[in-house]
Amino acid sequence: MENKGSRKWIAGVVVLAVAVLVLVVVYGVFREKPVEGSKSIVIEVVDRDEGKIEYQLKTDAAYLREAMEEAEGLSFSGAESEYGMMVDTVNGVRADYEADGAYWSFCVNGEYCNYGIDTQPVEDGDVFSIVYTSAGQE
Amino acid sequence: MRGKKKLGAGDVALIGMMAAFLEACKAALAFLPNIELVSFWIILFTIFFRWRIWFVIPVFLLVEGCIYGMGLWWIQYLYVWPLLAGVSFIFRKEESVWFWSVLSSVFGLLFGLLCAVPYGVMGAVDGGLRAGLYAGFAWWVAGIPFDLVHGVGNFVVMAVLYKPVRSALGRMNS
Repeated sequence: MENKGSRKWIAGVVVLAVAVLVLVVVYGVFREKPVEGSKSIVIEVVDRDEGKIEYQLKTDAAYLREAMEEAEGLSFSGAESEYGMMVDTVNGVRADYEADGAYWSFCVNGEYCNYGIDTQPVEDGDVFSIVYTSAGQE
Repeated sequence: MRGKKKLGAGDVALIGMMAAFLEACKAALAFLPNIELVSFWIILFTIFFRWRIWFVIPVFLLVEGCIYGMGLWWIQYLYVWPLLAGVSFIFRKEESVWFWSVLSSVFGLLFGLLCAVPYGVMGAVDGGLRAGLYAGFAWWVAGIPFDLVHGVGNFVVMAVLYKPVRSALGRMNS
């Protein structure tokens, strides 16, 4: 009886250890990694009225936030969180999700970014879009 | 022959209380990323109140959708929580705290993988199966650090709360 209980306990620990190990390995191997060195990228901002401003820059930034900070004329702010900065204001235009479900969506090369701006890697030739998105528009 | 269960006034009240409890606990811990009590309560409610969980989850989902809007995350909730309840229902006779801690933890670890399915489907619709698999996989990988926190959190919550809550629910149920 005691042995059966121990075996179950050990099996549980093994299952958890294997699951954690698999996740750590998959993340280590397949996560998007930042690229060192100079990159040419485009950051475009599409505001509430669908007006588009394009920023072309050469940057050594590894992550999007740093590149955004380098883009001349682009301003942004938001709340800092455990996920990095949650951007709510771009070029003075605030998207208030609480009020009307609006938010700034971030895309890279036409696809939604999988990471926050603090951990979104920047690669040469990337085109980032920051789009004011209303509720039901996504 | 087993008779059909009828939903009595007591059941309706209990279902409402359970749904309210889930919602309150979720809101209370919303400031802690990926540390949650919803998994814990869905497992315990399934063990003790059996079939009533199939009414509790839809109510909880409806309230969540009304409060936060029915986005993609809501689609994920539609199958993720019933899946946890279904697995818990299968093992409902199990009493070991370690068993439930491991199960809850594995659920937390797999949460991102389960939630990646709609991203895969959307990607597949847009660009074919290969694009779908890539989109779902990339989304899952990006969230793995949060899944690890989720798994550890679920393990600790279950290990600490299972015995006292099971004992209290047992007294309430008898």
